[in-house]
Amino acid sequence: MPAPISLRRYYDVNGWFFVVPALGLIAVFMIYPIIWSLWMSFQTGRGLVMHFGGLANIVRLTEDPVFQLALTNTILFFVIQVPIMLTLALFTAVLLDDPKLKFAGLIRTAIFLPCVMSLVVYSVIFKSMFVDDGVVNRALAAVGAISGPIPWMSDPFWARVLLIVAITWRWTGYNMIFYLAALQNIDRSIYEVARIDGVPATARFFRLTVPMLKPVILFTTVTSTIGTLQLFDEARNIVASDTSAGTAGPGDSVLTLSVYIYNLTFRFMPSFGYAATVSYVIVILVALLSFVQFTVARERD
Amino acid sequence: MSDLKLVDVSKSFGAVEILKKINLDVKAGEFIVFVGPSGCGKSTLLRLIAGLEEITAGELVIGGKRMNDIDPSHRGLAMVFQSYALNPHMTVAENMGFALKFAGLPSAEIRARVLSAAHILDLEPLLQRRPKALSGGQRQRVAIGRAIVRQPKVFLFDEPLSNLDAGLRVHMRIEIAKLHRQLGVTTVYVTHDQVEAMTLADRIVVLRAGEVEQIGSPLDLYDNPANLFVAGFIGSPKMNLLPAIVTRTADGRPALRIPDIGDALVALPDRAPRLEDGRAVYIGIRPEQFCVDGSAEFDLAIDIVEHLGGTTFVYARKGSSAAIVVETRDGRAHKSGDAIAVRFDPASLYLFDADGGRIRSAAFGQPNA
Amino acid sequence: MPLPRLLNRIGVYGFLGAMALLSVFPFIWMIVGTTNSTGDIILGHLGLGHAFLDNTQKFFTQANAPLIFWNSAKISLLGTALTLAVSSVAGYGFEIFRSPGRDWLYAGLLLTIMIPFAVLMIPLFMIMGRLGLINTHIAIILPTVASGFVIFYFRQATKAFPSELRDAARVDGLKEWQIFLYIYIPTMRSTYAAAFVIVFMATWNNYLWPLIVLQTNEMKTITLVISSLASAYYPDYGVVMVGALVATLPTLIVFFAMQRQFVQGMLGAIK
Ligand SMILES: Nc1ncnc2c1ncn2[C@@H]1O[C@H](COP(=O)(O)OP(=O)(O)O)[C@@H](O)[C@H]1O
Ligand SMILES: [Mg+2]
Repeated sequence: MPAPISLRRYYDVNGWFFVVPALGLIAVFMIYPIIWSLWMSFQTGRGLVMHFGGLANIVRLTEDPVFQLALTNTILFFVIQVPIMLTLALFTAVLLDDPKLKFAGLIRTAIFLPCVMSLVVYSVIFKSMFVDDGVVNRALAAVGAISGPIPWMSDPFWARVLLIVAITWRWTGYNMIFYLAALQNIDRSIYEVARIDGVPATARFFRLTVPMLKPVILFTTVTSTIGTLQLFDEARNIVASDTSAGTAGPGDSVLTLSVYIYNLTFRFMPSFGYAATVSYVIVILVALLSFVQFTVARERD
Repeated sequence: MSDLKLVDVSKSFGAVEILKKINLDVKAGEFIVFVGPSGCGKSTLLRLIAGLEEITAGELVIGGKRMNDIDPSHRGLAMVFQSYALNPHMTVAENMGFALKFAGLPSAEIRARVLSAAHILDLEPLLQRRPKALSGGQRQRVAIGRAIVRQPKVFLFDEPLSNLDAGLRVHMRIEIAKLHRQLGVTTVYVTHDQVEAMTLADRIVVLRAGEVEQIGSPLDLYDNPANLFVAGFIGSPKMNLLPAIVTRTADGRPALRIPDIGDALVALPDRAPRLEDGRAVYIGIRPEQFCVDGSAEFDLAIDIVEHLGGTTFVYARKGSSAAIVVETRDGRAHKSGDAIAVRFDPASLYLFDADGGRIRSAAFGQPNA
Repeated sequence: MPLPRLLNRIGVYGFLGAMALLSVFPFIWMIVGTTNSTGDIILGHLGLGHAFLDNTQKFFTQANAPLIFWNSAKISLLGTALTLAVSSVAGYGFEIFRSPGRDWLYAGLLLTIMIPFAVLMIPLFMIMGRLGLINTHIAIILPTVASGFVIFYFRQATKAFPSELRDAARVDGLKEWQIFLYIYIPTMRSTYAAAFVIVFMATWNNYLWPLIVLQTNEMKTITLVISSLASAYYPDYGVVMVGALVATLPTLIVFFAMQRQFVQGMLGAIK
């Protein structure tokens, strides 16, 4: 018979035993880097020669047109892309949720399929589809939508449109799956009663479906926003005209914060402190936007 | 087989005290049932005995040894859970032999024990199946088999029959009773179903809100409830409990006035103790204690009649008061809306204080008077 | 069928059909593209061509395809196995052995999920430098082994693990690690399958961190190779398409073989 130790202590020791390996790794590869990078954001200098610069990096942010362009681009992307994508995903999910719909499974699988492709792979495939004489411009011309080829790769405006189209392609099905799962958890009799009561279809959607899906809509909004704020793979691979120079798209039109941080760190003469400062701009944006979205969702209650 | 003793056992989760100073002496071979409403702490008490929760204060002694800090598997007991707790990825035989493997028994011995338990429980044809391919009753038997093979000194059951349908429940109840007679192992059994408690137990422990209300044999609790709670909890349909006020009859004899049946006066037996006038009490009368030759009589209006064939339950009331349940053996003619005259013997009444305590007296609570 | 309902049906099927077609088209384009020469691809040629062997051969010679594929497979499988091991143990631990201290740590852990990788990459790069792990595959695997997200996923899933199975095992005399090994893992197989799918996808497709750490060609992953092939001034798209197909096939196979777990894994987080 083992020496009697208190049961509570036995379970407590076991509890630590189970979580310590993960906590150790997270301390080394997560917490330590977070703190280090915060510390670095107050350092200035090039390469490994760094010294304390106080708020110098923050001042530099306000004077750096490239940073401001990257910030504008990043914000532009999620402000336009996230609502388009989520609306599309919700709309598709509601249509697919109809139990009488034929081929629903097949259509759902097809729309979900883009999630299987890696970000880099789909980026290069889009790149090949959107070249000047490529398949997309030809298709648009064939249906008479355009008179000349759209300069997706060389015009800043169209390059941004391309990026938004591409991201929407990749993630709509992903978000749709969340909505579908939530819709399937809704008791159908709620809709049946509403129909018997004569509630019209649009009112059923806005008064019943949307409020019941609120937690999922919030979840997808937050995750999509965080994802878009960290945009890197696509920005660097779809329209990257010249990676060796570190530009992203014509006139840096698809330069995002993450690409800029990468360039600051690994492309030019490294500016670690300043790059860390820019990375904390993303942290602040993520925190701010998540907070705003949670508050908005709560107030609507 | 082992005796089991709880001394002032208390349990708190955080600041909330769930069990308060429980004392209990279980004799070797005894079948003890914990019964009480859901949430009263029955499972917690069982889990304290099993060692799945830590005892906050007090002592647990099994077979003369203090067990508070002993690992569950070294307490010499086996437990059967409400959900059966069968491992879905193992066959019946593997499930039953699982604990023995970890106890380091040789595989021949394991096989022998599993086979013998399977024989007792009629599980032989099912040994190679997985739990998914078994019915509820079969899973229940596997769960019991898993406990038997360990040859424990104490069996613990936590609502083992709650997931079964009514017919199987009765069947398994009888199986468990037979098993106990056959093996004679000390058993602690938790249920919220008083019928199960009555039919299985040597002694019943009635719990309410973490405290023992009464301990006794089934008939003892039925005939002699210690308080209003036990009186109301044991017996089905429930004992009729009505507020009453002590008063006097016109000729000055002590009596009870019962507002719920139209302020009826019931003269108390001569031997009744003196109770001061105006005192508020409760009277209790079991449905079957209404009889044809009692001295107290009222007229009630029948609400609902439940014909069970052999007996009939009549739910009747006076005005808007709560319904009174009357059991009769020749009530086939009764129907809803009729009037019924009910009689009982005042000597068969149970009398309780306003705060629920029993007023004991040789004059009352004589069910067979 | 009355006319408005008919029009409504046509609208619904038209919309969903278009969505489905647009979603699948790039896959078709990729497959067709492997058979076309680069010249045909940039002219939007949609039919099957004759350049498949040529493209494939070029991909294998230019990129040392078997080695690259092996690199990706090794990193993904090893990384996924380690991640599932360490993170499922932790998720189980946080759920089963509750204590105020660990609950606080767990809350902190959840916050780390929100941290953008951009914040970590410079210090991580320096740490790997100090450990002498630059340009190694271990450096790719190590930082993701303890994943806040996967721990969260397993803790949520553990809430559905019947506590009576654990209690019964304790009464049966199993040690806590034995309960995890012999009861929890077999019972939670579908949870592991779903987690395997999502973690494998993430590591197989990882781009930014390998881009930073892996510097020589023979260490690179398929994602990196495709990216660099496509970023040439005149990309050889025929070759790129073959690479894209090779990179997509494993995830596509996993998807079709384990579609239920795939979806379940993605949804797991919010259940
Ligand atoms: N692990 C626990 N933590 C906190 N409270 C608990 C825990 N287990 C049980 N309780 C509480 O203790 C009380 C008794 O529970 P239990 O013993 O399961 O009741 P019963 O089995 O009689 O229905 C309940 O109020 C329950 O909420
Ligand atoms: Mg219980």
